[in-house]
Order: sequence, then C-alpha cells, then structure tokens
Amino acid sequence: MKRWFLALVCGVLAFSALGQEKIVIRIAGHSVDKPVKEALIRDVVAPKLPPNVEVVFEPVVDDYKQWLLTMLAAGTPPDIFYVDVYWAEEVVRTGRVRALDEFLAKSEILKKEDLIPVLVQAFTVDGKLYAISKDFNSLVVFFNKDMFDAKGVPYPTAEDDWETLWDKVRRVHNPPEWVGICLNPDFARFLPFAFAAGMPFLNPDGTAPFARPEAIRAAEWFSAPIREGFGATAADLGVGWPGAAFVEEKAAVVIEGGWLIPPIREGAPLMNFGTTFLPTIDGRRGNYLFTVGYGMPVEEILPSKRPDLVWKVIELLTSPEAQSYILSIGHAIPSRAALLSHPVLASPADPFQEAMRTVFVATGLPGTVPFSFAPVGSVYHIVVAEALTKMFTGELSPAAAMQEAAEKLNKELKR
Amino acid sequence: MSWLKGPRRNEIFWAFLFLLPLFWTLGVAFAYAFFRALWWSFCDYNLFAPPEFAGFTNYARLFADPRFLRALFHSLSFAIIVTFTQTSLALLLAIALNQKIRGLTFFRAAFYTPSILSSVIVGLIFIWFTYRRGVVNFLLSVVRTHHLHVLSFLGLLALVQFMLVCWGRRRGLPVQVLDPVYLWVSLLAAGLGTWVFSHLHILQPKPTPPVDIIWLETAEKFLGIPRPLWAIMALNIGTTVPTMMLFFLAGLQDVPRELYEAAELDGASRWAKLWYVTIPALRPVMFLVITLGLIGTLQMFDQAAITSGVAPLDSIVTLAYYVYWNMFGAGGLPRVGMASAAAIFLAVLTLVVVLIQRRVGVREKAW
Repeated sequence: MKRWFLALVCGVLAFSALGQEKIVIRIAGHSVDKPVKEALIRDVVAPKLPPNVEVVFEPVVDDYKQWLLTMLAAGTPPDIFYVDVYWAEEVVRTGRVRALDEFLAKSEILKKEDLIPVLVQAFTVDGKLYAISKDFNSLVVFFNKDMFDAKGVPYPTAEDDWETLWDKVRRVHNPPEWVGICLNPDFARFLPFAFAAGMPFLNPDGTAPFARPEAIRAAEWFSAPIREGFGATAADLGVGWPGAAFVEEKAAVVIEGGWLIPPIREGAPLMNFGTTFLPTIDGRRGNYLFTVGYGMPVEEILPSKRPDLVWKVIELLTSPEAQSYILSIGHAIPSRAALLSHPVLASPADPFQEAMRTVFVATGLPGTVPFSFAPVGSVYHIVVAEALTKMFTGELSPAAAMQEAAEKLNKELKR
Repeated sequence: MSWLKGPRRNEIFWAFLFLLPLFWTLGVAFAYAFFRALWWSFCDYNLFAPPEFAGFTNYARLFADPRFLRALFHSLSFAIIVTFTQTSLALLLAIALNQKIRGLTFFRAAFYTPSILSSVIVGLIFIWFTYRRGVVNFLLSVVRTHHLHVLSFLGLLALVQFMLVCWGRRRGLPVQVLDPVYLWVSLLAAGLGTWVFSHLHILQPKPTPPVDIIWLETAEKFLGIPRPLWAIMALNIGTTVPTMMLFFLAGLQDVPRELYEAAELDGASRWAKLWYVTIPALRPVMFLVITLGLIGTLQMFDQAAITSGVAPLDSIVTLAYYVYWNMFGAGGLPRVGMASAAAIFLAVLTLVVVLIQRRVGVREKAW
C-alpha cells in the first residue's frame, strides 16, 4: 500500500514538473473563426514561438461580450480575447483590460504607424490603446451588373450622390424578378448616412439629434425605396438578411460590408457583380468602421502570467505575414495600411478581390467613424431602430418617427 | 437524546448522506444565488467595483422606470391570458383525445410534437411564419379572398345540420345538436354545395390585396397590448398546451367510471357529465396546470429573447427579459443592482399571484 502511494506521489510530482515547463496561451474568439485561426496559429504563429509554448484557440459560442464580462469579473479570462469596437469602451472601463502602449513602444514588428489610423482610434480610450485591430470592415454598395445591363441602367459609381443612386435603383427595379434594393430598417445602415448629412452623434447640449432637419432628411431618403416601392426588406423577400437577397439574385443592390464576399463566393461564384463607395450628400460621405481587435487582461488575472509572451503572440497574429495569409484566403480584410500594395488589393483579379479593395479604401475615406455608441450605449440605436421600423411599415412618417426617437432618447438620457 | 442512539442514528446518518447531493445543488444553485441576488438588490454593483449598499434605491428606481412598469403590465397580461387560454384548450384537447376514436395514438403524438421541439427552434420558425409575406399572412389572404366560400360553407353546414336534427327528432330519435353521424353528412353536403356554387360561378373569389399584417416588427397595439406580444402569446400557447394536455389526460384516466354510470342513470347529458363530473374531478390537476402555467408565463424569457432581434424592445419586454436586459443588454457595465431588484420582485410577484390564484381560483381538492 505504501509503495503504491509513493509511486502516485512521484507521478504527480513528475507531471506537475512537466506542466511547469509548458506554457499555454489561450485565445478566445468567435466560434466561426475556429478553422482560420487554427490554421493561422499552426502555420504562422507556432513556428516562431519557443517549443514549450502552446497557443490554443478556444471558440466561444455564447454572446461574446456577455461571456467576456463575466470572465473578467470572475478573474478567469483567457490570455488573449477579442475586443469588438462596438463595446470596446465598456470593457475597458471595467479596469481589467491592459493598455498596450508600453509593448507597442518597444515592439520591432508592430508600430502604431503601421496600422490604419481609424483602427487605432477605434480602440483608443482616454489616450491609451487597448486592442490591436485584427481585421476590419466597412459598408459599400454591392450591385448586380447583369441586372443593370438588362435594364440598360448605368452602374452605380463613386461619383453618385444620394439622388443619382436612388434614381438608378428606381430604374433597375424589376418586379417580380428582382427589386431595386433590399434594405432593412437597420440603424447600422442608416446612421452613417445621417452623419454624412451633418447630424452629430449628440446635440451640443447633450440631447438627442434625431429631430434635426439633417436627420429627417436622411430618414426620408433612406426609407424612400420602401415607402415608394422600389425596394423591399429581407423579410418581404423571404430571406434572412439583405446579403442573402443579393446572393439569390432577388435584389439588384444591397448595402453591405466585406462579410458578403464569402457568401457570394459560396452561393453564386459566377455572379457578375461590382462594388462602389456609399453615395455622397453635398459632397460628404459617411461610413461605419466595424472591427475586432486582440486585447489582453491586466497582469493580476492573466492566466499564463507571461505578458511578454502574450504580446508576442498578438504581434505574430497581426504580423505582415499573418495578415497577407488572411488576405490571400479571402477571409477578412486585415488591418495594416501597407497591405494596399499586396497583389490582391493592388491589382484585383476578380470581382471578389475588387470588392475587398473597395472595402479597404472605403474605410480610409473621410467620414468613417467607429461602430460604437459610447458613452450612450445601446439605447441610442434601439430608438433609431424603432423609428426606422415605424417608417418602413408606414406607421409613422419619417419626420414623425424621428421626432419620436428624439423624445425617447432624451427621456433615457435624463435617467 | 435517546433518538440519536443505536439504529435510529445510523438511519439518520445515511438519510443525510443520500440527501447531500440534493442539499448541495439546492444550496449553491438556489439558496446561495437567491441570497446573493437579494443582497445585490440593495446595492449599487456593476460586477467590477465592490458593491455599495444603497438601501431601497434600486426598488425605487424600478418603479420610476417606465420600461419596468411596461414589463410588469406585459408579464401580468401575458400570464393571465396565456394561462386561461392554454388551460381551457388543454382541457378540451384532453377530453377529445380521451375518446375511443380511430388513429388516437397518431393524434396524441401529433398534438404533443410542439412540446418536444426546442423552443428556440420553434421560435425561429415562428418568426419566418410571421414575415410580411409569410405563411400566416398568406393563409389569412386566402381566407379573405375566399371569404364568400367560407361563409357559404359554414352557412350550409349549419343549415343542413339543423334540418337533419329537426328531422331526426320528429321521428322521435334522441339526437343531439352535434350528433357526429349527422355532422359528417352535413360536412359532406356543405362541401359539395360550396363546390357546386363555385363551379356555377355563383361564388367567386373576391380579388383583394394580400393581407399585410406586420406581426413582430411593429409597435402597434391591440386592446392595449402590443401586437408582437399577442404573437408571442399565440406561440407560447401552441407550445405549452400539449404538455398541459398530457396532465389532463393522466387526470382523466383517474376519474371513477362509476360516477359517469351514475350520472347516465340519472339521465345526464354529455354536457352535464362534463360540467358536473369531469371538471370537478379534474380540479387537482387543473390546480397543477394553472399553477405551472402562471409560474411559466410570469417567468417567460426565451420567446421574448428570440423575437427581440425583430420586434421593438418596448413591445416585447417582460419582467424576465427586463432582468436580462439590465444585466447584459443595456450597454455600459451590467446594472446588477437593478437586475437583482427586478428578479427579486419577479420572484415575490410569482409567489403572490400563485397564492391569490389558490385563494380565489381553482383549489387543490376535488370535492
């Protein structure tokens, strides 16, 4: 009996000694990223790390922000986590996310200047950078060239303004085969146009800006396809989202981001389509920057206790090599400015690469703002979404709906 | 302390040992969580900064929040309407399925299917059904275009049945108004008549625009309750009725045969037997069904959460969803104090509603 016990103790000791040598760096990300991230870790990251360091990707199926907040609160976060620009500031305000400036200052591989400025701005809170953008997206106009050819309508171009674009969409509308545009009452599509028209995020006195003439003008324009009948919502077309209407050739135009490229590649690989920037209003353009970055927790709760190694992994994940790898498999649009000279973006070979180039360039245009609602929070877009729904269903006129949204937000802001 | 000696002590020791796992889960998942939430409901807390005692501020803030009051109204109306409807429907279905009819097993299985499906999946399918160009509006359009056919069918049905029953009674037969054999004949006759009318172009479909009711993406109200909430009620009733029906079916097996025989000897009609024998005998089951229904509907969360992606927040917010929304949905750091206060309020409310029901509604005892 004693001998058995001794053997067991020796075994445990030996095992724990082995465990001390091995360092595991855990990255938690969206579950959809699993195949790509695992390939990236295997092919690009792991070879450059010491052999005793293992990088593991842990997919999160839950609502990511909810998961991360509870992990940070419990003091059990992973070594590297995703930070979405949409809630970056909220998570930073917990005080459990580490600022990365000190690492960035010392880094050989990654400099602030390498990154596209708006991406740095997106993750900067009170002058400190909290996440390194891994990739990004912004909105562009997708159009089906065959449908425009069939109706003899010129393609949308970068020169189009609000009126000329709607004019083209009206002319390409061809029910019941296809609608001019598939458009949802989506605040993430509407707000960039409202900002372009001159609506501020909040009025100078801190009240809701939705009743301003610029906002109402944007609402009237944005809801015109549905109110005047040259467009339809995704639900009206029997699909889950506008992108699906485009892939299934039920709509000639949609306003989407680079995330529509993989579905087209899979669902309609031979589609003859083009992409261009969002239309202008009085020469101004708006857009949203959607981006996710890598962040790390503060040292007290960093599971591996090795911030230097964790930073090294972040560097490798955003290195030029890793980013051209992501770009060449067409997964997403990476965050380094220098990649514009990458062959995929410099001389696009097909509509898919062209679309990536359009998204890449569109992000850098003036008027692009991070997709974030700090410091107001989600009530800001909840009231906008309700207003859009009401004007899309005809319950209220655009002016009345925006007026109501302003009143609702003002009430929430007072609380 | 004599009871603590000998075999008795042994017994108590083993009893507690076996109860330990249950105590453990009860302690951690219920008692600990409950008292933690109770404490937090009196604190200002956001998961990150240490909780600060705030007295009844959170409760005061709850009642000053129009969204909470709306959630309270929604939860109460949801509970009352759904519990009433689902109990009545489940009872009717159970009585129907308790008869000796052909294909009984098939119908029992078919009616029970909605309950074994995941409520998330049913919810998603439901969202597709309620699209503007979805199945629900399509069926309504068909009915609207062919409403003359429907009316003529129903009219003929009533007419033929009435004539048959009169004819039967005149011949001295003890026929009831809804005699099944006559009903089959009337159904056939009404169908045939409608078909002939429409073939002779006496009945023509009225060209009407398709029904365009927006079920979920709207803030419009009907009888003071938002339309999306009505839709969720319909969904909830559809998915819970089968389970409740099962309880009633089990209860129906236990109703003593002798009571029916005695009632028949006294010349009771089917309706009288249902009203004076079946329903009183089922009272304990009905108490269970109503109590479970009230608890389930007051705590309804999943269906509100699924439709929250489509419907406006203020049209579907219920108390349980309000708790979640304060914790994770509102943006900013979690408002743990408000969420806990709302959760405690919901628990107390559930208890009170169930007690009131027991006091003034259906009791546990049969007779």
